[in-house]
Amino acid sequence: MTELTCIVCPRGCALRIEERDGHFTVTGNACKRGEQFAMAEMTCPTRTLCTTVRTVFPGVPVISVRTSAEIPKDKIFDVMREINRACVTRAMKRGEAVLPNVLGLGADIIITSGLLEEKTEKENDHEQ
Amino acid sequence: MLTVDVLVIGGGPAGLAAAIAAHQNGAAVLLIEREAHLGGILKQCIHDGFGLVRYGEKLSGPEYAGRFIDEFHALGLEARTLTFVTRIQKTSEGFAVTLVNRDGVETVAAKALVLATGCRERTAKQVSIHGTRPAGVFTAGCAQHFTNLLGQLPTRKCVILGSGDIGLIMARRLTLEGAQVLGVYEAKSTPSGLTRNIHQCLRDYNIPLYLSHTVTRVFGQDRLTAVEISQVDERMNPIPGTEQLVECDALILSVGLIPENELAEGLGVAIDPKTKGPICDAGLMTSVPGVFSCGNALHVNDLVDYVSESGEAAGKSAARYRPGQQRTLIPITAGEGLLYAVPQRLDVAADRSAVTLYFRSRENLGPCRLVITADGREIYTRRYPFLRPPEMERLELDLSAQALTAASQIKLEIEVMEHD
Amino acid sequence: MNIRRINWRLKKRFGPAVTATLSEGSIVLSGRLPTWGEVIEACSLAAVKYSTTHVVNDIRCDEVKARPMRQPTLRDTALEGRKPDVLIIGGGISGASIARELSKWKLDILLVEKEADLALQASGRNDGEVHPGIDLSRGSLKHHYVRRGNAMYDQLCRELDVPFKRVGQYVCFEKAWLKPLIALYCRVRKNRDGIADTKLISGEELRRREPNLRFAFAISNPSSGCVCPYGLTIAYAENAVQNGAEVSLNTAVLGMAVQDGKIHSVATNRGTVYPALVINAAGVFAEEIAAMAGDRFFSIHPRRGTNSILDKKAGVYMHTIASVMDITRNTHHSKGGGILHTVHGNLLVGPDAIETWEKENTETHRESIDRVFQKQQRTMRALSRGDIITYFTGVRAPTFEEDFIIEMGRKTGNILHCAGIQSPGLTAAPAVALDIEKMAVGYLSALKPVARNENYDPIRHGPPVLREMSDEQRAALIRQNPNYGVIVCRCEEVSKGEILDALRSPIPVPTVDGIKKRVRPGMGRCQGGFCSPLVTQIIAEFLGCPLEEVRKSSGEAVITYGKTK
Repeated sequence: MTELTCIVCPRGCALRIEERDGHFTVTGNACKRGEQFAMAEMTCPTRTLCTTVRTVFPGVPVISVRTSAEIPKDKIFDVMREINRACVTRAMKRGEAVLPNVLGLGADIIITSGLLEEKTEKENDHEQ
Repeated sequence: MLTVDVLVIGGGPAGLAAAIAAHQNGAAVLLIEREAHLGGILKQCIHDGFGLVRYGEKLSGPEYAGRFIDEFHALGLEARTLTFVTRIQKTSEGFAVTLVNRDGVETVAAKALVLATGCRERTAKQVSIHGTRPAGVFTAGCAQHFTNLLGQLPTRKCVILGSGDIGLIMARRLTLEGAQVLGVYEAKSTPSGLTRNIHQCLRDYNIPLYLSHTVTRVFGQDRLTAVEISQVDERMNPIPGTEQLVECDALILSVGLIPENELAEGLGVAIDPKTKGPICDAGLMTSVPGVFSCGNALHVNDLVDYVSESGEAAGKSAARYRPGQQRTLIPITAGEGLLYAVPQRLDVAADRSAVTLYFRSRENLGPCRLVITADGREIYTRRYPFLRPPEMERLELDLSAQALTAASQIKLEIEVMEHD
Repeated sequence: MNIRRINWRLKKRFGPAVTATLSEGSIVLSGRLPTWGEVIEACSLAAVKYSTTHVVNDIRCDEVKARPMRQPTLRDTALEGRKPDVLIIGGGISGASIARELSKWKLDILLVEKEADLALQASGRNDGEVHPGIDLSRGSLKHHYVRRGNAMYDQLCRELDVPFKRVGQYVCFEKAWLKPLIALYCRVRKNRDGIADTKLISGEELRRREPNLRFAFAISNPSSGCVCPYGLTIAYAENAVQNGAEVSLNTAVLGMAVQDGKIHSVATNRGTVYPALVINAAGVFAEEIAAMAGDRFFSIHPRRGTNSILDKKAGVYMHTIASVMDITRNTHHSKGGGILHTVHGNLLVGPDAIETWEKENTETHRESIDRVFQKQQRTMRALSRGDIITYFTGVRAPTFEEDFIIEMGRKTGNILHCAGIQSPGLTAAPAVALDIEKMAVGYLSALKPVARNENYDPIRHGPPVLREMSDEQRAALIRQNPNYGVIVCRCEEVSKGEILDALRSPIPVPTVDGIKKRVRPGMGRCQGGFCSPLVTQIIAEFLGCPLEEVRKSSGEAVITYGKTK
């Protein structure tokens, strides 16, 4: 039996997973999403990766990004390497992809912050 | 002099929600933000998990803030950024708020104020850490600012004290950026952060969590070179003889947040010693008529969704506020088993059909029952499979049918249930 | 006390372990003792309070580990071959005030300080009280200078643009029956020792002035005040620099060549200099400097003290300086601290007094805070540890005679000692500096003509303090420079303009701590949690360097390790 804390929502249900002949039974979950999470954790755990990417703008040296979908947990550091090689050279908007389909995992690396747009809108405003 | 109906102080998630709500309820609104950009602390909270309650999505902090900023601009609302409130004075019409920014000094008149000033982090000295004063002691939020906004690595090998959410988030964040996190140490016997953060920030990256341990001393003349860790007893006092030295270059602290209420206190707003935020009624009006509080200035929230919710409530009430309106306030008391409850007052003269209550249990509890009484009468109960202090609970009640007088009292209590 | 009697007493207490000899006018103790506490006891036993015959401590102590003076890592030749008229060693309140007074003269003045900033040791790590001298009796240099120094503060702080408030001090007593005795004490102080303003007041009167102080009666000393001690040191040094003196930070004296009873050269990490006169204002290291000069006739025994700083919210509890007096206990070495409302509106609580052999150990300890609060909660019950925002330790530099040493070298001709400076050293400093100026000019005039500095200007302007201005003044400054309207430190309300002013000041120290000391970002309740990344950014922008090159204090105090990507 495996015990897990569900991380789908802040409730944090204590899940118990029994494996019998390759089938999993989940208990302790308050909702369906908990069961799906437990199944995924047992077979192919995935996570959203949130980090930053370098830019050429001195006022905003890095801009926040995330994977547009969850990626396999064991690929996180490979994707980090890809992201750390990238650089944003224009004022990209929230939601725009910096790296499409990163490492062929089916997820894009998308900008999550509006700081670059705001910076170009009000050029003098980052004085602080 | 510029005159507005509602002046919102603070452009984080609470202030943005308050400004939008006040506008939607017909008020002329101005928002004041001391930083260069709107969004508050969410600008640096680049991790995901925001907005699950509100949008059913796991957004990052900047994305969550972005939705409100977009709406704020779409509604044509005005914000003064890089603008700092230096003084608030009561006037016969409301308030005169003095602002300082690059354009000079200006006074704005407002009928109502929404204080959405957020919170600050407790520091090393406030948790009695002694030793030298080297570089390399950061609050988690400060380390987060360096890492996420300035793209600078504040440590290569660190110890994190406190299992608050920002500490857990930073453990993962610094690991992703190539730093080594030797462990998270927590003086309490239970974690302070959300369970899912323990899982996805620590367990995912094999970062150990040491409960009932604290940092008692730091070493290093210029940059930090090591910390001394001690075990603590039930009262969280270090146990002599349990000291061990851990070599590292930084100590990152996530040892609690304190609502920032210096402006509120200056106005004579009564503060709840339990929440360290203003004592409010269900419309989030403080003890000073016309002054409203929301977000982390009201009480420290674990989810931004509720920060926005309280912002909306405060903004709406502020827009509807009329000077001189009579209030009949009765206490809502956080009784047995509760750490606190918000709001702390109920205006029996106001609409009570949808009263939102937030509360936290004092300790980790198994199956239990929340009982709400009015003058000793049970008016509401609810069962919980478990309650944990780090995870705030929310309730919405219709109290309009309750017979309440100016002398009434409402009390919340938690009864632990026997295992069935 | 003659040497035989000292030896008799030492033998009675320590057996054959310690002996005293009279050597070149000093009482030299030698031998070996297991603990530092015993060394202090032995030396104190041999010393006579306020005597000019000093105890020199040569006792080996098993507890003391060799710990060389911390040195800057900087190595260059910036000062190589310099021949200043005056070399001042030490950038504390003594060195800085002496440099300023000497800058009235056409002299080549070089002040060296081993730390990365001024006032980083005892001068910056005390409570900032300007003492009335109530605890000092005639016959000591401390007494001689404390009254003169105290009287100079109003004009001095106006000249140097340093906040100073003559708030008054209360020494409080719990037991009413002591009143006749204390009344007598006050009369003696007033009539014999010249503490003209001292006065006994009733408990009621005290309560009327300070509602949170509840005592039977108190001694009131209205001439007492408070100043920002590092602010004053920096101001003095800046004024000296404006008037032609040079200050070299990160510069440690490593050795001296002494020939024919005179210092010929002084080796530093930035080159060897050849001064005509050396002024020893080296604080806890004054003994080492004297030894280098072949003029060691006294010993310094470091004594550390810890102060806590309380939130400005606690500042409303009390607006003056107060302490509770416990005459039943031995208060020989320390006043046991007190509570002081600082010029910035915080409360400062402490210090305690602990003998230590470690001259540079400014670590804080929980026990110190516990002890001080236990005592000071008797002074004022409203005092709460929950209001503490930070604490710090300073190490005082007393001699065993517990008096100042202000005199020319006894064996070496061209050294002037300003040593043994401890409380009330800050109060006395302005008066001491005037006398040292006279002595130095006297000495140098014998070598060459010394003329007045025609351009001497005693006025120094510090950066404007916008939080204290009226809206009109503030708006006018912002019109001139919009950066004054950008608040960087929310707790202390410090603008970007003020930070840039500090970076452009006469002795700029472009570190986070250097800026913090000059214009206060990070001094407030969040302790820099919010503003330190912003201040770091402003410094980097100003210096035109990458962020990771900005330091907290010294060259090794790295803040960040470079770009994450």
